Amino acid sequence: MSIRLQLLIVALTTLVLPWAGCQYARELETALRSSQEQSLLAGAATIANALMAQPQRVFHDSDDARAFSAAAGDLYVYPLVTQPLLDGYREDWDISAEPTPLPTTTRYRARLQAASTEHYLYLYLEVDDPHFDAEPNHVQPDKDRFDRVNLTLQGPGGRAGYFFGTNAPGLIGAQSVVKGDDGVDRVVTEPRIQAFWLQTAAGYHLEMRIPLSFVGRRLWIEAIDGRGSGQAGIAADSPEGGRLFFATAGLDTLLETYIRDGTRATVVDANALKVGTAGNIASRQRGSEESEPIWYRYFMGIDTSDMPTLSSLPDRLSGDSVNEALQGHSHAQWVLGGSSHELLLTAAAPIVIDGQLHGAVVLEQAADQLLALRDRALTRLFNLTLIATASAVIIMFAFATWISWRIGRLRTAADSAVGSDGRIQLHMPESSSADEIGALSRGFERLLARLNEHAQYLRTLGGKLSHELRTPLTIVRSSLDNLESEGLRDDQLRYITRAREGTQRLQSILSALGAAARVEESIKQSERVNFDLRDLLVSAVAAYRDGFPAARFAIELPDNPCFALGAPDLLLQSLDKLIENAVDFCPPDGAVTVRLERVQSNYALQVTNDGPLIPQALMGRLFESLFEQRQGRDDKPHFGLGLYIVRLIAEFHGGTAVAANREDGSGVVFTITLPLI
Amino acid sequence: MKKQIAIVEDEPALRENYAAALARHGYSIKAYGNRQTAMQAFNVRLPDLAIIDISLEDEAEGGFDLCRELRALSAELPIIFLTARDSELDAVSGLRLGADDFLTKDVSLPHLAARVAALFRRIDALRRPDNAADIVRRGALSIDGEKMQTTWNGAAVTLSLTEFWIVHALARNPGHVKNRQQLMDAANVVLDDNTITSHIKRVRRKFQQVDTAFDAIQTVYGMGYRWVE
Repeated sequence: MSIRLQLLIVALTTLVLPWAGCQYARELETALRSSQEQSLLAGAATIANALMAQPQRVFHDSDDARAFSAAAGDLYVYPLVTQPLLDGYREDWDISAEPTPLPTTTRYRARLQAASTEHYLYLYLEVDDPHFDAEPNHVQPDKDRFDRVNLTLQGPGGRAGYFFGTNAPGLIGAQSVVKGDDGVDRVVTEPRIQAFWLQTAAGYHLEMRIPLSFVGRRLWIEAIDGRGSGQAGIAADSPEGGRLFFATAGLDTLLETYIRDGTRATVVDANALKVGTAGNIASRQRGSEESEPIWYRYFMGIDTSDMPTLSSLPDRLSGDSVNEALQGHSHAQWVLGGSSHELLLTAAAPIVIDGQLHGAVVLEQAADQLLALRDRALTRLFNLTLIATASAVIIMFAFATWISWRIGRLRTAADSAVGSDGRIQLHMPESSSADEIGALSRGFERLLARLNEHAQYLRTLGGKLSHELRTPLTIVRSSLDNLESEGLRDDQLRYITRAREGTQRLQSILSALGAAARVEESIKQSERVNFDLRDLLVSAVAAYRDGFPAARFAIELPDNPCFALGAPDLLLQSLDKLIENAVDFCPPDGAVTVRLERVQSNYALQVTNDGPLIPQALMGRLFESLFEQRQGRDDKPHFGLGLYIVRLIAEFHGGTAVAANREDGSGVVFTITLPLI
Repeated sequence: MKKQIAIVEDEPALRENYAAALARHGYSIKAYGNRQTAMQAFNVRLPDLAIIDISLEDEAEGGFDLCRELRALSAELPIIFLTARDSELDAVSGLRLGADDFLTKDVSLPHLAARVAALFRRIDALRRPDNAADIVRRGALSIDGEKMQTTWNGAAVTLSLTEFWIVHALARNPGHVKNRQQLMDAANVVLDDNTITSHIKRVRRKFQQVDTAFDAIQTVYGMGYRWVE
């Protein structure tokens, strides 16, 4: 793994910063939520206490303590904000709840809804009765059969019975049977109780308006089919009519004074039915925040999956808070509520009057403000830590890139410090840096300097040796010369001859050892002349044919003279080395080929032989000084200077010397390139 | 009277060997280990020939100094440098100081003796009246084999003994290629290829000093050299 990658991974650990920030924000939010719960609970308790002090403004006196039962015909009377039009439609009531079915024992179906304004009770009845049976003109309520709705009200003056029926749907009045002075029942219209009969395909709607002064706590309402197919509702003669549960008039205004914006206060009775409500959950600054998506909520928002969903009914409140409060305990709870399932906090406190639980105050507040606070904090935190992390990562990455670039530079320099020509590059990059890389570089430099000294020593060793050994060798040889002149016996002469052969071999060894030094010296003193390479090769190859009678030579030359500027003697000397090499390695049936050709702006002088290939690993080192890999194939000494001399001479001419295997693997090619004039 | 040869050589064994070998050829030998003792003796009496090493004890160039002083005492005295130093520079410097020959210690004793004899012969020839018996003429070239004198277009070309023998060997058979071995044999010397090349170069340069158009010694690459007329 590269340093860059390693440091990048290290840099990624700064991601712990936003994580820690998130944890902190979460804790902050928990604390905020808890404090919001406490304050809302306190608010609920305060309102409850205030309401307990004035019970008459909160609850109507109930005539019995029985629980609300829709099946028994109990009706919740929705408070109406505006006075609706009496038109047989209830859409203008603006109540989301559906009418409740009337109890029935037959297949006849009717649904009823009640609402009230300050002065009127409105009833809306929906009857499934596709066949309209009109009321006869002179109705005899006891005998005539027509579609009718019986309504019995328990007013201040006892029960009063009315019925609705018509032969012409539209605005009608309630009719009642009044026993006249003559003792005959007469049907009279009660004009203060108005209704609108709307005939539809499925049946009819009856929207009734009754002055509150007529209305007591109970009512009996029954829809009866004119054809006798059934009836729904509570018959007027049943003892218990449906009870009416009114919201308390004026309670809304009272509650209004207790609450703040963004909070909704609801007072429920013991049946959890709303008796008063005020305020609005929706906070004013919602809109703007909704527009920008706060994306990190996706992965670190409040987990709301396990929160209960508060079903919002128009007539009653539900949920743990309300239930707990109606058991007599204050309770706060986070729920998902409202149309868009936003996070709500509900707090409920019981209303206990004279030791008896009458209902509860329920406060609802959106978590928006809390969220807004948290979002602001988190956004800032996120932005800051992300910027910090990003900067850290970028800086680390840049730093790592820089470091690895420096190390890479050093490595490249180290790789190429000892060139293929054996020359040592003494200066390393970064050596002036004060840090560890600089120290490493200086370490390399010291190492290379020592290597260079060593290589220098080796290179000059040959010359020095050959020079230093010359005098003692001369002493030996001159002594042998003298000894020979003393007139020795034949057997003594034999030893002299052997000693002389020994000295000759020593001489040739010393000569070979000093060859590079001598070539270097003659290079220094060489003059460049203009000469024809072609002539040189023709005559040289002719000489080699004489010199190596066992070898086969081939020569391939261009047609035109090839003039070059250089030292023909030196060039010839390097050719000698290449030819010697080629002849040594060429198998007996192979041929040594000398080829000259123009390649771009150079002459390529090639000496190829059919000998064994050069291992790839040695390719670059062949031309180094004192590099010798050959196994002794002859008795001549080899010090690995021959090809080094070839290289020296090629470089003196501004050219290069390279070795390669033939592409078809059939032999080896040594090439000297020389620049054209 | 025996000819007297002075050997100035700081290596005693070598000095003794040379002395013994030359004494065997009938010369009287005076051997010295350093420049000072040699010079004292030369101031008293000049030898007939001097063989000098370049580095003498602690004087790396003592031989050159000695040669200079000796040449100041006598213009004709044959001087041979015999040294382990074989660099071109040393050879050029030595010959420029007026030495008659510059030999490396690779030279065998018989070869050395041949040179010494040749130089003495030359001295004798110079003292005798003109004798045109051994004069080779090749165009502009004229070689006196006895006096070992060379002229080109009548102008004298000063060659060392080795150089003279090389030129002599080449010019005697113009057009014939003499390879390096043949040249070495002619010059009574064992040299490596490079040294022969430098000798040829030096010879050419000396002729070119007299005639810049000189081009009579031709290189036959890989084979040797030949004299062209």
